[in-house]
Amino acid sequence: MSAGDELLALGESALASLKHGEAEVVIADSRSELTRFAGNEIHQSVAERYRHIRVRLIDGGRTGVGEVRGHGEQALALAFDAAEQSRRVTSTSDVSPLPPGDQGADGPVAFAASTDSATPQDRAELVSTITEAAAAHGVNAYGALSTATTTTAIITSAGLRRSATSTQASLVSVARGDNGGGYASRHSADITALDVAGLAAEVVDTCERNQNAKEIGPGDYEVILSPYAVTDLLEHLAWVGFSALALQEHRSFMRLGERLMSERVTIRDDARTDDVFPFPFDDEGVSTRPVTLIDRGVCAAVVYDTPTALQDGVASTGHSLPQPNTWGPLPRHVAMDSGDTPWTEMVRSVSRGLYITRFWYVRDVHPLRTVITGMTREGTFLIENGSITHPVKDLRFTQSIVEALAAVLQVSRERRLELGEGESGVLSPWLHLGRFSFTS
Amino acid sequence: MINRTVQRLTVKNGAVASVELFEDEGIGIRVIAGGAWGFAGVDDLSGPSIEEAARQAVQIAKASSRVNRVSVRLAPAPALVGEYRTPVVRDPFAVSLDDKVDLLMRTDLAMSRLPQVRVRECSLEFVREVRHFASSEGALLDQTIIESGGGLDATATSDDDVQTRSFPNSFGRHQICAGWEAIEAFDLPGNAGRVAEEAVALLSAAECPAGTMTVILDATQAALQVHESCGHPTELDRVLGHEAAYAGTSFLMPEMLGTFRYGSEHVTMTADSTRAPGLGTFGWDDEGVPAQRSLLVDQGIFTGYLTSRETAAAIGQVSNGAMRADGWGRLPIIRMTNINLEPGTSSLEEMIATTEHGVYLETNRSWSIDDRRLNFQFGTQNGWEIIDGKRTRLVRNPIYSGQTPEFWGSCDAVAGLPEWQMFGVVNCGKGQPSQSMHVGHGAAPCRFRNVRVEPAR
Repeated sequence: MSAGDELLALGESALASLKHGEAEVVIADSRSELTRFAGNEIHQSVAERYRHIRVRLIDGGRTGVGEVRGHGEQALALAFDAAEQSRRVTSTSDVSPLPPGDQGADGPVAFAASTDSATPQDRAELVSTITEAAAAHGVNAYGALSTATTTTAIITSAGLRRSATSTQASLVSVARGDNGGGYASRHSADITALDVAGLAAEVVDTCERNQNAKEIGPGDYEVILSPYAVTDLLEHLAWVGFSALALQEHRSFMRLGERLMSERVTIRDDARTDDVFPFPFDDEGVSTRPVTLIDRGVCAAVVYDTPTALQDGVASTGHSLPQPNTWGPLPRHVAMDSGDTPWTEMVRSVSRGLYITRFWYVRDVHPLRTVITGMTREGTFLIENGSITHPVKDLRFTQSIVEALAAVLQVSRERRLELGEGESGVLSPWLHLGRFSFTS
Repeated sequence: MINRTVQRLTVKNGAVASVELFEDEGIGIRVIAGGAWGFAGVDDLSGPSIEEAARQAVQIAKASSRVNRVSVRLAPAPALVGEYRTPVVRDPFAVSLDDKVDLLMRTDLAMSRLPQVRVRECSLEFVREVRHFASSEGALLDQTIIESGGGLDATATSDDDVQTRSFPNSFGRHQICAGWEAIEAFDLPGNAGRVAEEAVALLSAAECPAGTMTVILDATQAALQVHESCGHPTELDRVLGHEAAYAGTSFLMPEMLGTFRYGSEHVTMTADSTRAPGLGTFGWDDEGVPAQRSLLVDQGIFTGYLTSRETAAAIGQVSNGAMRADGWGRLPIIRMTNINLEPGTSSLEEMIATTEHGVYLETNRSWSIDDRRLNFQFGTQNGWEIIDGKRTRLVRNPIYSGQTPEFWGSCDAVAGLPEWQMFGVVNCGKGQPSQSMHVGHGAAPCRFRNVRVEPAR
């Protein structure tokens, strides 16, 4: 019996005792391990295993939720008891129904046996590829290599019965010399596909080029953003604007049918493509459909869960977080379409501007205007006459994302899978923007 | 071993949006083997499962030791035995869910009278953590930590703007180590109508003026300023590079201890895990080191770090008890306890009365600071322009920015104990895998000169 089938059987046996009303049982078994390094030494290495049980009860027009981390029948019973306690005190209005049981065939799942079976020794050896490369160049490496396997099963009294087992491997590294640092990351379902040697070369190279940065004044600059930086823009757009609830509550920048960005910008959410950690269903068990959010600069669509879909009289797109919630739906497989220019050519087309490796501590300043602020970090370079000439000291930016994406001049042919701060996969190209505002 | 119980109730737009009840129990085992650390956590508390976790922790440590050249060295600490329990007047878990829902519904109703308030949300959260710590050095410690939190947000919209006001603090709630009495003292229903009116007023308020001017921060914003610009840079693991690839490093280097001018003479900051009712109040940290008070900044001079046994040894000190884990499945790392701006001798009224031109800024809306904790920018939900010693018009979308030592160096007044209050931050992120810690900050309104202020455009 597969891990998913085991959890489904467990959930079904729990549902069998349901005497009245409806119920949703979500059981997730998670196993994650992480090896962290600093100063070319492994300083933290950890492992964690747990089972998360979430029960949603709907009865008499009321919804209750109970959550337990733990094993055995006692844990399930505890979750049911908590859900019933919760249900008794909730309101009789605004109950979101369970989705129908038939959700069609499952789409692909990001899974690799190599990640599932990775050992602490495997991780230590991969880490040593980076620390040895750093030491050979006289710099220090810092970072983390993580692996995770999660089996999720959703069973409902409406007949829904779905499970999937996914894996994720993630490697992030910073290299630091005496007067500056570099950054690189790689992410994949398959730990053997991480291109550790490529990461080591990139992070050391960026570090060596980013020594003794010069001051440069704040102001508006033409910029080339690497995929690490573009990921932040896309993730924040998703948080503040791509949700049907944000639109319904007048909190979203999205004006459907209007062109707000450059026609070079197309942004999609697609949980079925192998490029962005595919996963077949959302937290309600609804199949996640591809949605084109921005179509050649035009606000095309937002994503839905069951409650927001009911409100607008449409079908859920399968982007629900655990129900009920006040956050609304969220796209978690965001990708920007690639262009046709190699990113190195994009750099060559800049007469004076900045190359930004990554942003840091990006926060929403004015969500409706999509204004964010943050810092550059570990690799900000001046471009002069088509060449990167020297590193510059980190700058703070305060910028509307929509306005930045209205000024897209070029989109790179290449894209990279990144993890946003919210740990969702984002497939990002390099972007050439005509103007980006640095404030200090 | 930790058992955590959480109740979280949310009312949104007149309906109970969710009542979540969460139970979590497990064990984390941290070992040194072959001179390296290993850690494994598991929620299955059967004997074989715990033994497997212990073996896994050793296996992990030995795998790391093959790469490492330097062995772990710990500063000495006494092996203690004892019990600690958060003092509460009324156990929040003894209050019925019905009473909690009733309080939230009354709060929601009080916000509902203005049609421009399109989104009303209020919530309560209660946490009980029972923590058992044992070490092979002989420590045996039992602690029960109880937290109570609550808050409300009123979001008003117009055709071209969205403005939110929160109470008692933003990002959902104000939380402290206390019982139900804390929730009663917040008086959410009694403040809800006023806060809703403030959200609506912001829609038609003028944009914040731009320029270099005097800034007075309310106590909630001062607390977050302390968190970002003093709490994080004094974490010694950041200084030693342990967080270089994620949370970042620090501008406060060991050679600066005792001499570096961090702020003006009005600025004294402490780490105090004995100071109730902050969220960093406990009996012992997660290495068994007792709660204590340490000076971080003494009348403007940088004097100390937050430390662990391993990091303290690296600078020839002993730990001051700042190792904390976000649950049984996470390795303890250096975290803030209660990082406090000690009270001064001024008052908000006096600060405003002696300000020629400036802004009084209330309640955080956005925050960002660089990885060394120098270059910051904060936004607040609202501001009041001060002209000739008088609070005049309401202004919206204020942001202010600066560099940490210059900013604290420009502090010329901190309000006294009557206006000093303990706040909580419940989303302090650090570590890989990510850990979200609950930390405390005591602060009072304070004034800064020559600060760059502008509207968020």
